[in-house]
Amino acid sequence: MKAAVRKIGHVAVLDLVGKITIGEGDVVLREKVLEMLGAGEKNVLLNLEKVSYMDSAGIGELVACYKRSKEKGGSVKLLKPSGKVLDLLQLTKLEEVFDTYNDEKEALVSF
Amino acid sequence: MAPATSVKLSMASEIRLVDLVHEASQKMAEIAGLEEDAALNVALAVREAVINAITHGNQKDPERTVDLTLTANGSGIVVTIRDQGEGFDPAGTRDPRSAENLLRSSGRGLLLIRAFVDEVKFRKRRGRGMEVTLVKRNPPTSAAVAESIHPAGRNQGGAR
Repeated sequence: MKAAVRKIGHVAVLDLVGKITIGEGDVVLREKVLEMLGAGEKNVLLNLEKVSYMDSAGIGELVACYKRSKEKGGSVKLLKPSGKVLDLLQLTKLEEVFDTYNDEKEALVSF
Repeated sequence: MAPATSVKLSMASEIRLVDLVHEASQKMAEIAGLEEDAALNVALAVREAVINAITHGNQKDPERTVDLTLTANGSGIVVTIRDQGEGFDPAGTRDPRSAENLLRSSGRGLLLIRAFVDEVKFRKRRGRGMEVTLVKRNPPTSAAVAESIHPAGRNQGGAR
């Protein structure tokens, strides 16, 4: 999986491309978000538009990122989950945990 | 109806091999006649069962193998996954969707498996590990639906 950070105002957007799965995507996600939180970012928006699917390890890492940001007084929100990723968020009931947006501008002003 | 065909895989308990099994499962599901999304669901279910077999069953011991049989037949796909661990009681696992477990970072594998295939069977093989069987059936064809509504051979008032 590829991951790139964009800073827009007081929000750090992490654009993810690929799949968030065990031993690869989950590791990339963990390292990037830890790096962002370590750099003092409080408002993290994960752009899932180009994520094709996740497995249970990837879903677990999303939850871990959410908890880590909360511990640091920040927040992690989701942008444009679709297809299988959206199915998985609904199935696991994590759509009730994460603030989720389909419009980037709307997501940015929500922080 | 495509003739039955099968593949057997015996893999070391290494997470880096999971993608290989995912690809093989997806391809076999397509050979079985499942559509793209259903084939991905099969692959995701097999992926989770193999991750469980490697991590919980074989405790990531690379000397222990995970053995799979993937069979595409006329009605769908059947996948059997065997590990060499102690086995577990699937009824004893936590519900990852309950409020107290929602923020746990693990424990969702069985939920995904059950959601993505039609049938899941667990069998503890005494002293030989766990066996998990996953079944995904092809959706009925329009001809089969028509047959169920108007079975051939039933007298519907036509000429004999």
